[in-house]
Amino acid sequence: MRIQTLLLLLCLALLQFQAYAADRPPPAPGMVSTVPGADLWREVRQRDGMIIDGISQVKGVDTGVLINAQGDKWARFRINNPVKHAPTVIIAVVLVLLLFYVIRGKVGIEGGLSGRMVLRFTDFERILHWTLAIVFLFLAITGLVLLVGRPLLIPLFGKSAFSMLASASKESHNLFGPIFLVSLLMMLYSFARRNIYEKGDLTWLLKGGGFIGKGHVSGGFFNMGEKSWYWLVILVGLVISISGLILVSPNFGQGRVIMGISHVVHVLGAIILMAVSIGHMYMGSIGTEGSSEAMKSGYVDINWVEAHHDRWAKECHQKDQVISAEEFARLQGTSLDRANVEATEQAK
Amino acid sequence: MARMKFYCDAERCIECNACVTACKNENDIPWGVNRRRVVTIKDGEQGERSLSVACMHCSDAPCAAVCPVDCFYTTGDGIVLHDKDICIGCGYCFYACPFGAPQFPEEAAFASRGKMDKCTFCAGGPEVDNSSDEFKKYGRNRIAEGKLPLCAEMCSTKALLAGDSDVLSDIYRKRVINRGASAFDWGVSFDKAKLSG
Repeated sequence: MRIQTLLLLLCLALLQFQAYAADRPPPAPGMVSTVPGADLWREVRQRDGMIIDGISQVKGVDTGVLINAQGDKWARFRINNPVKHAPTVIIAVVLVLLLFYVIRGKVGIEGGLSGRMVLRFTDFERILHWTLAIVFLFLAITGLVLLVGRPLLIPLFGKSAFSMLASASKESHNLFGPIFLVSLLMMLYSFARRNIYEKGDLTWLLKGGGFIGKGHVSGGFFNMGEKSWYWLVILVGLVISISGLILVSPNFGQGRVIMGISHVVHVLGAIILMAVSIGHMYMGSIGTEGSSEAMKSGYVDINWVEAHHDRWAKECHQKDQVISAEEFARLQGTSLDRANVEATEQAK
Repeated sequence: MARMKFYCDAERCIECNACVTACKNENDIPWGVNRRRVVTIKDGEQGERSLSVACMHCSDAPCAAVCPVDCFYTTGDGIVLHDKDICIGCGYCFYACPFGAPQFPEEAAFASRGKMDKCTFCAGGPEVDNSSDEFKKYGRNRIAEGKLPLCAEMCSTKALLAGDSDVLSDIYRKRVINRGASAFDWGVSFDKAKLSG
């Protein structure tokens, strides 16, 4: 009897448990986070690049942006790339050209110079070239002061003196920048037609432009190398000018991201132009015999034309544009003896 | 040594802008320059938060790294200051700063910005402490008087804290412990989907 009662009680008890289990609600789903706004702060931190825009009662450029993650990236890029490598690139180009000059020497003209000249560049074209060149050099130097002045010049001048130099560089760089753009556009207008690539340019390129070996290469008024330099100046120059205009006028409300991108484009373009312009300066001065006269008086020796631009030489002869040495001296305003005419031709 | 930092408690900030006003008044800041600002995220929506932002006095400050004339310096307390006499107003520090702390007083032709101005943690600048020169250029030097920045002192809810980072961490940790999981925060006690059903 006792055991039965016990078993009955047990069954009743078990039944109770059973009932209790049926009534009990399912357990609540697990709570995601006890930190309020965790998702919000993850977005704000921008580890995946999204920029969170808020509002601020303080009005101004970008005041609603809480964190600008691009800023630090830009700063590190500037320090680790252009600042670190620009001096190396420029010095490397100078050394390579020096080496080239030592090994290959000045590219001479077969038969030497004759003294008979032909007009290549008008006064306007020469003045335009030199304006652009001098403005470019000024911009390059002031730009380099701002780019690499801190590691290279502060140890030399000290902070106060360098600050004055940097301030003057910044103001004059900003002033001459638009002048560069104007000169560039005028250069585009003056020389574009003569720089259009034509038949014969590819051959010039494939033959190495006559730099390698002593073979004669045909060229027009401008050879393919000159044309490529021209278009590089125009295109990269325009890129630099436009990014420079963006940088120099912050009053249009550009944010920091646009400024950072403009700055990177501006600096990289500038380094490219500086490096290749050193090559151009080499070619126009000591690289080839007879070339420098073109930008000094505007006239070039007919032998030089035959050697480097034979297709244009044909035109000069056809249009009877070759002048004698006496005529050239008269145009320069001196007599033949005192004129700056080189006549190294042996057969005369 | 102490390492001075700001900390803004987003749970307490009510966007009253007292910090902004206090800073502007105490340091006699000209028009257009905003050393401190309050940014509100998700304004009007659930989860709206406000934060008071000025210079964060970073240990590895990008502004100091990018300055072309190296006009920044860090004091022994970890406060990032700069020398206005050396500053050339190029704007690079403003591009680099993640918080937009550097400000410029002018907006003239050819990017003439004037000298950069920013939150100094009420620690003045390289001039002699509490001189009139220092006040004209950099504002009040409260740190030299043994006080803390006025923005944090004036904060109506004590959301903005300024001082030694160890002390700040302590204060905030106590706050977090005392808050626990807020019973009234949506994501914690209620499931959004069930509420509307």
